[in-house]
Amino acid sequence: MPGGVPCEVRCRHRDPQRDRSCATAPVRIQRRHSIVSLLEVKNLEVRFAMRRQELIALRDVSFKVEKGERLGIVGESGAGKSVAAFSILNLISKPGYISSGEIFFGGKDLTKLTAREMSQIRGNQISMVFQDPMMTLNPVLTIGTQMTEALHAHQDISREEAKQRAIETLARVHIPSPATRFDQYPHELSGGMRQRVVIAIALITKPPLIIADEPTTALDVTIQAEIMELMMELCESSGVGLILITHDLGVISQMTERAIVMYAGRIVEEGDTRDIINHAYHPYTHGLMDALPQKTKPGRRLNQIKGVMPALSSIPDGCAFNPRCPLVIDLCRTTLPQFTVFGSTRVACHRAAARTD
Amino acid sequence: MVAARWHQFRDSGFYHDFSRDKTAIISFFILCLYVVVCFSAPLVAPFDPYDPTVIDIMDSEIPPAWLERGDPRFLLGTDAQGRDLFSTILYGTRISMTIGVCAVLLQAFLGISLGMIAGYVGGSLDNFLMRIADIQLSFSTLMVAIIFLAVFQALFGTELYERLAIVMLILVIGIAEWPQYARTVRASVLAEKKKEYVDAVRVIGLRPHRIMFRHILPNTLSPILVISTVQVANAIVSEAALSFLGLGMPVTKPSLGSLINSGFEFIFSGSWWITIVPGVVLVILVLVMNLLGDFLRDVLNPKLYKN
Amino acid sequence: MSAAPLITINGLYKEFPIHKGILDQLTIAGGRVVKKHESVKALSGVELTVWKGESLCVVGESGCGKSTLARVIMSLIKPTRGEIRYEQERIDTKGVGELLPYRKKMQMIFQNPYASLNPRMTVRQTLQEPMTLHNPELNVAEVNERVVEVTRSVGIDPSWSDRYPHEFSGGQRQRISIARALAVDPEFIVADEPISALDVSIQAQVLNLMMDAREQRALTYLFITHDLAVVEHFGSRVAVMYLGTLCELAPTKKLFSSPQHPYTQALLSAIPRLNQSSSDYIRLRGEVPTPVNLPDGCVFHGRCIHASDRCRRENPALKTYADTAVACHAIEEGRI
Repeated sequence: MPGGVPCEVRCRHRDPQRDRSCATAPVRIQRRHSIVSLLEVKNLEVRFAMRRQELIALRDVSFKVEKGERLGIVGESGAGKSVAAFSILNLISKPGYISSGEIFFGGKDLTKLTAREMSQIRGNQISMVFQDPMMTLNPVLTIGTQMTEALHAHQDISREEAKQRAIETLARVHIPSPATRFDQYPHELSGGMRQRVVIAIALITKPPLIIADEPTTALDVTIQAEIMELMMELCESSGVGLILITHDLGVISQMTERAIVMYAGRIVEEGDTRDIINHAYHPYTHGLMDALPQKTKPGRRLNQIKGVMPALSSIPDGCAFNPRCPLVIDLCRTTLPQFTVFGSTRVACHRAAARTD
Repeated sequence: MVAARWHQFRDSGFYHDFSRDKTAIISFFILCLYVVVCFSAPLVAPFDPYDPTVIDIMDSEIPPAWLERGDPRFLLGTDAQGRDLFSTILYGTRISMTIGVCAVLLQAFLGISLGMIAGYVGGSLDNFLMRIADIQLSFSTLMVAIIFLAVFQALFGTELYERLAIVMLILVIGIAEWPQYARTVRASVLAEKKKEYVDAVRVIGLRPHRIMFRHILPNTLSPILVISTVQVANAIVSEAALSFLGLGMPVTKPSLGSLINSGFEFIFSGSWWITIVPGVVLVILVLVMNLLGDFLRDVLNPKLYKN
Repeated sequence: MSAAPLITINGLYKEFPIHKGILDQLTIAGGRVVKKHESVKALSGVELTVWKGESLCVVGESGCGKSTLARVIMSLIKPTRGEIRYEQERIDTKGVGELLPYRKKMQMIFQNPYASLNPRMTVRQTLQEPMTLHNPELNVAEVNERVVEVTRSVGIDPSWSDRYPHEFSGGQRQRISIARALAVDPEFIVADEPISALDVSIQAQVLNLMMDAREQRALTYLFITHDLAVVEHFGSRVAVMYLGTLCELAPTKKLFSSPQHPYTQALLSAIPRLNQSSSDYIRLRGEVPTPVNLPDGCVFHGRCIHASDRCRRENPALKTYADTAVACHAIEEGRI
């Protein structure tokens, strides 16, 4: 791992526009949209200063979100997907910190902002939806107060106007009788309704980007379907960009246009969601997909990936996935794979070519 | 096996936190010093304060050795009866600590058993036990102890009382404070009882008493450890207070409290050391125990630990 | 149904009283002070038979009573009414001691691998406990031999048996939890959401392990889950629950190819699948009622598009059509 660092640094100095890699493989990625992305994360590294060692939770993570694009980040717990999302908003708490990298949003590097400047972005320019609605909602304040609070904090707006906006937004997330709900407390609503309120709070300042961390995981299947549909509809109608973090490949498949697969703190594969679902190059992505019960005939043994994801403190040399990989070769154990591009997908795997057939 | 345990301990977060916390280290070593010195008092002390033959009334009220009229034989001076204050403090601290620890053992035994049963069985038994605890807590420990000890002295005479003083103090302080344990234990039992491992052992078919003591009890040890340190300190203070009021240890077998008391009447006549020195010893002892208790609470409480 | 019934459940009700202070319970009704008892109706009249050798899956959303069903069957809580028989013997009325022989035959796997193992006991101690309790004739060496055997069978290295649970990952803990259930060599296992707390790649491993155990030991499973994809793969029969009642009971293939009950249909359509857009799911009206105040009639009527007056009045009974049992007036009347 340490051998890779100077290499990256050299790259960045030589040609900042180039995607990070010194490998000989073609590394440029075609972007379909505007030149300036809505959000661009470059070589992000996040560390956690633990009791006796520093753990690197995120290594060399780079990705972009275009205007109105829905990007999914998939991974298992500990893969670093939530850390990635939290670091965008500078929400990583104490032992964790961003050790290097840049996050460009609206022409500014978010990693260099002061706490004050950051709070102007948070909730105003970028909103967040968490897994548990009660993480966002304060149980002792009415829904109306919590919604207008966000507006007053970021915009110069009268009380009446704010209330009007809040009720309109509640109606937009299909909450029945929004004017009554405005004066209710979170505990008076069901789980699905609460998540709708959280989405309404996220939307009320009309941010260009929403980050949703497992927004449907705590909900029942039928409610999950409703919330997913709602989020799709809102993104499409108002052109909001979305970063959706989830472990559920089904959700990713239905909601996003582009997907990133993370493993042990690194991006291992990125590409159009369709392509990733239909033709995954990375053996990990492939294994995840194959392990789904619907991929095997009922009653047969499922295709499992052997072993477990390594802890951050004991990530193996070379490719982090090598001890579990069915296609492993000696190179994987010694050298970190760089990204290779296949069509819309970029994949960090020495054996990706073996998957092309 | 022991080596393995030691390594496990060395690698644990507990040891790590401890080695970073100067207050905890200092407190721990002072406490160790107290324990070692006091329990080896017969070997360490230059005099035996219980032996009337070595006490000379002519030596009374000699100030500590570094003062003007000091005598190098008596490092911390002597009391009104001519006893070496240093030796008497060592023996007295030993008595104070014995009473404190034994009283807390009694409290823990009562409190843990009753709290465990209340928490695990629940229902009306729980209500009954907890109301008794509430009633008991609404009387202050000292008040209960004073009434009980005074009645005992009046009924059975001072002589019998003086012979049984240690046992009586242990009983009184032990019984008066069990609700502290019962409440803590009950609260953690209620929390543990909801966890699936308890259901799992019920599915295995274990009997309730085995589930309680083999499975739930070990998981409630952290809060028990925390309150134990504080409770020992409290018990020592209670004992000192009772002795100071003349209801504790007799002057012939003084604890720290009765030493402070015995010197109190001489404090304005210039012999301040008879009260102040044992007072300082008591304060330091109680302080380090409370500091250790705070440290344990910070380390063992996962909620605080997260921040 | 050639096999013999292993578990028979008849008219099972479970209500949890809501604990309020005595003053909150008192209300004034008709000029008199009345003590009002409110309770959560977790199970309302469940009839179910588990046949020997099958894997019966119970699905439903949170609060439908599926976990309560598991706990009542395992005698962890006593039912309010109704009976549960193991083979022919009633087990719901038995005490701790009388249940002991049944504990050896029926075991349970829990949802949360982080809470289901005692953090202060090593793997060996955890596994030895059920063995020595149910096989007092075994000596120490024999017990150890069995511990090695069972840890190996769940894919845990036996040399790790002296470690504590916190040294294992979630998937490994769940394997240990399965090993504990298998330690007494049971014939029936109730699994309460055993994989829902695990990561995707680990879910497959644990599910495979449970299927291997089924084959090797001829186990009967009652598998509680909210994940229909797993049901389709694992179960031989499926029971769909809604608000404490059974709405549909059918062989897995049948249920997935032609779901009958409107709730089952909605549930199936809502699973997010790969390569399928989200728009073609059946939307349900309204909200799940609270189990404190159950509606009259069919519990589903408030959210059902086929609800008629009869559905609002009368509770439908579970009726069998071919090999599917459905509780729905609309189906009975041929409206759907």
